[in-house]
Amino acid sequence: MAKFSKWLCSQLRLIGATARKEFIIFTRYPANAVLSLIEPLMWLTPLYFMGKAFSVGGHAVGFEGFTGTSDYFSFVMVGAFMSSYIAVAFWGMAYSIEEDMILGVLEPNWVTPANRVSILLGRSIMFALLTTVQSLGVLLIGALLFNVKVSGDIFVALLIIVPMLIAIFGLGLGLAGIVLAIRRAQTAIDMSNWVFSQISGMQFPVTVLPKPLMAVALTLPATYGYDAVRSVLLGTNPLLPMKQEIMILVTSAIVMCIVGRAVFYTFDRRCRRLGTIGGH
Amino acid sequence: MSTVNSIEVENLRRVFTRRTPRKLPWQRNRQVNGNELCVTGSDKSGNQPKTTVAVDGISFEIQSGEIFGLLGPNGAGKTTTIKMLCTLLEPTSGTARVGGYDIVREPAKVRGSMGTVFSGERSLYWKLTGRENLEYFAALYDVEPSTTASKIDSLLSKMDLESKSNEPVERYSTGMRQRLAVARALLADPPVVLLDEPTAGLDPQSARNLRDTVRSLRDEGHTILLTTHYMAEADELCNRIAIIDHGRIIALDTPAALKAGLQEMHSLEVEVDRAPDGVLDELRSLPLVRGVESHASNNGLETWTIRVLTEDSRQTLDALLDLLRASGDRVLNMKANEPTLEDVFIALTGKSLRD
Repeated sequence: MAKFSKWLCSQLRLIGATARKEFIIFTRYPANAVLSLIEPLMWLTPLYFMGKAFSVGGHAVGFEGFTGTSDYFSFVMVGAFMSSYIAVAFWGMAYSIEEDMILGVLEPNWVTPANRVSILLGRSIMFALLTTVQSLGVLLIGALLFNVKVSGDIFVALLIIVPMLIAIFGLGLGLAGIVLAIRRAQTAIDMSNWVFSQISGMQFPVTVLPKPLMAVALTLPATYGYDAVRSVLLGTNPLLPMKQEIMILVTSAIVMCIVGRAVFYTFDRRCRRLGTIGGH
Repeated sequence: MSTVNSIEVENLRRVFTRRTPRKLPWQRNRQVNGNELCVTGSDKSGNQPKTTVAVDGISFEIQSGEIFGLLGPNGAGKTTTIKMLCTLLEPTSGTARVGGYDIVREPAKVRGSMGTVFSGERSLYWKLTGRENLEYFAALYDVEPSTTASKIDSLLSKMDLESKSNEPVERYSTGMRQRLAVARALLADPPVVLLDEPTAGLDPQSARNLRDTVRSLRDEGHTILLTTHYMAEADELCNRIAIIDHGRIIALDTPAALKAGLQEMHSLEVEVDRAPDGVLDELRSLPLVRGVESHASNNGLETWTIRVLTEDSRQTLDALLDLLRASGDRVLNMKANEPTLEDVFIALTGKSLRD
């Protein structure tokens, strides 16, 4: 027990040090830091006007038939809030490997005895915290400027987000392994992040998708995350009973962490066999 | 010196197999038309796996507290050896143990018992200060939090970086970055330190300072494996040297013993007024000559130096001068030297470390 608690303290310290390092580097580019905090508004504003253009008397009638709510923009805002965490997995975890390769610091990190998963986790946690600040700011501005109404229990919504985040971090870990192997992955990350978010229903209910695409959507944990959180916060009709959706999220979290870790270490080992660590 | 081995390498081998870049369809057609594609082992698209033996069955042992040098030209297999020992690269065959741990079966323990300094200056976070870099890596090396600050202070002071410790690394000189990289390698006070070309790219003063640092590390009890292609550096620093070429160790001994093996040899250095390319093969074929190399004299006068290793300088001298005169080279200067490690390398391989 004492050994485990010592190991845990050391991992927490490692995660904290990595997150701190990332935060310091983030602040050393102040213009980028400020712009990244306000960037989401730029993407969301056109959707507000599009929703307004398609609504009748302030109600998106057709949309209401699919979701149970006529407030399209609030639906999109919640989707954008959650998809920013998916971006953390793709960019904070997977892309950080490519960034280290380009900077030339991957090898110095990799020759330390530190747990590589903890290094990646520390980076993701920093980006997740920044994303939270960014998303709360966007929600606040959305409430003030665009009349976004969130009426449900935010605490329950946050509890639902936790297993989804863990599942997505598992996915990010697997992707990090793939980036380690393919090295130049920026376009692949960008595309897969976009496809993953869109098919999960970031901007629309997945029930509008054709059957083959909907089948794909139903295999992704984020689909249930979006659906359950919107159901709690906006009162939309859920795809499945809430209990089942939470069970799916919890199971996905466990499975994706195990699979993600296995994929990461498989590619890590492969790179050590091929001698490609550090190249880019 | 203790006789306990810190590093044991046995028959270590590393082979790289790389596919040549995939040919575009029109490039393939052109080659087929040119009848150049008849290569055994190529696949349907004409891609042929290329096999390179980077390290070819090397064996050596490094005793605790020793500075051991891997000396060889670029591409000899030095960095590949370092990468295998620090677990970034798996050997194709053979075994190695660092601090008693196997590099394949116990990689985390190996990494915990060594500090590694890579060649090149981009191995640090340039946007972080020197201190912030060390704080981050201290967590990665699992340095006890209560001692981290004092450890970093002491390393910064030892590397003479105290005054710049709160400045971003991007403002450091190359020498300062290299010293910071050494400080990082020492954070966990590892018994073994690997230094890959530690003075490459440094100005003479910085290189001298770094060599002093390496000596002081040895005095503190660290075992050091360093790679270099600078003969004088290896001669000055190392207790023992392994000369490596084409992935193989071709000699291993103390610098003095390596040079003593050439005591019967003479090293002649001739300065000529132009590049002596045409005459080198003829010089090599002279009786008693064991090796010949030439290089730009680096004296700002655009002259060249020919170095001839011979078993008898008296007998070689006339023939050497005759050949140079016949080829139209003007002899500007000439001297006989004590054999150096460079001569050892020339005697063993027939070529210079610079080749």
